[in-house]
Amino acid sequence: MHENLSILIVDDDPDILDGILMILESQDYHLRTARDGVQCLDLLKEEIPDLLILDLLMPRMDGWGVIRKVRNDSRFGKMPIMVLTTVIEDASRRRYELETGQAMDIQAYIEKPAKPAELLEMVERLSQWKK
Amino acid sequence: MTTSHDVIAERLGKSEVFQSLPEENLLEIAAFCQEDVYQDGQVIFIEGEPADRILVVERGKLAIEKKIQLGRHSTPRNATIAYVNPDQIAGFSTLTKSQTHSASVIAVEPTRVCVIDGVKLREYLSRHPEAGFEVLTAITSLVRGRYQSATNTLTYFLSIVSHELRTPLAAVENYLQTILGGFAGELNKKQERMLNRCVVRVTDLSALISDVVDLARMRPEQIQADFEWFDPGEVGRESIEDTRLAAAEKNIQIRIQPPAEFKPIVGSRRRMRQVFTNLLNNAIKFGPEDSIVFFRAWYEEEHLIFLVEDSGPGIPPEDIDYIFTDFFRASNVGDSPGAGLGLSIAKKIMDAHNGNILVENLTGKNGAITGSRFTVQIPLNLSTPEMRRREWLP
Repeated sequence: MHENLSILIVDDDPDILDGILMILESQDYHLRTARDGVQCLDLLKEEIPDLLILDLLMPRMDGWGVIRKVRNDSRFGKMPIMVLTTVIEDASRRRYELETGQAMDIQAYIEKPAKPAELLEMVERLSQWKK
Repeated sequence: MTTSHDVIAERLGKSEVFQSLPEENLLEIAAFCQEDVYQDGQVIFIEGEPADRILVVERGKLAIEKKIQLGRHSTPRNATIAYVNPDQIAGFSTLTKSQTHSASVIAVEPTRVCVIDGVKLREYLSRHPEAGFEVLTAITSLVRGRYQSATNTLTYFLSIVSHELRTPLAAVENYLQTILGGFAGELNKKQERMLNRCVVRVTDLSALISDVVDLARMRPEQIQADFEWFDPGEVGRESIEDTRLAAAEKNIQIRIQPPAEFKPIVGSRRRMRQVFTNLLNNAIKFGPEDSIVFFRAWYEEEHLIFLVEDSGPGIPPEDIDYIFTDFFRASNVGDSPGAGLGLSIAKKIMDAHNGNILVENLTGKNGAITGSRFTVQIPLNLSTPEMRRREWLP
């Protein structure tokens, strides 16, 4: 088990954030939220979470942009990323590869809507990832 | 009068279709032109009616509208596909063979136009082939541009549809799952049942959005680009797996009769699975509870045949010719969910495989309908893109 796993959840849709928070609040996690990629990077500078849950289609900076920045910055090397989005996984990975020439280095991909049990299980699994 | 011809000729000379004509031609064409003004909302051309005038817009704006009808029974609606601004033309159908308007034209603001008499213009251009060639070349570019803009609009529309419709739906599904998971407090049985129904209806809507987007992207060359060797038996098993839950809910048994051995074939593996899954889902949807759905396969000389048979109400004879049409739903489907896209998607996939999908009603001894049978014929001589490339090598 973990001790107060810290999670940063990034989604531009307040209702999605609300629903995910309600599910994750059932556990003893330390939760923070951001509404776009730029805000996400600001919060990452303050504190590196144990897990980043990231939407892809967002204003200002999208999720692909966040992944690109984070994966090219050694400070975040060990932070697992879970993508949670309406974008189909194939299309999303292809877009990232076309834009960066690299494979998308993420640890989980969940297409919305996430089933609560599936989400919690994946969070638990990723909490072990860096250890 | 002469001045007026001069002015009109000058205006024609600025327009997208007549700008490359020498002044001499413009002056002669101006002789059978007149100016007119249309008020905001005034219908000028109606789709399908005879086309005998070309309009060159001087001031204002016209909208080009196409009639769109989803299915046979819905009310047709008009969709604006383009606008005609100053120096652009409307009514090019006047110079086409059918001479009927391919779209309607409506003034969206008070608009002043130069109206060219179509009959006289046709006569003039046939007597002046050089001018005719210039005008028709310009019209070809115009039509090409409209076609390109229609394709762009469709692509744009699809990306909007898929994202803008899925996003709110995902939020609703997310809340439903959260509530059903008990994360927002305990639920009583009644609330749980209703919320579960919400999930079913929202999931249907989500599938409909995917189908609409999918259907519009389904061009034969896109499907053929995916052709590869695959084991059809494996794809059949995956389709059964796709539909297992739906079958279990109605206690329907899927009875399979495969050939002695499945041999690999060429086709789009993913799309073929979609065909089988659509047919099985249909059979389960319309089959009565506790019934059997047959899923058979066998090889013929030039085809691999798959067959799905249910013991549902069948298809009313008057509907049978239309069931592969986009958005068509047979008159006896009642409240069953679905948009009527599954079969038309299956048909498009089979067409791209040069194959066939056939339907017939099963009848009992007294001639009463006892179910329906869908037969899929997949040709055995298809080529992968790599094989096609090699065929062209010396």
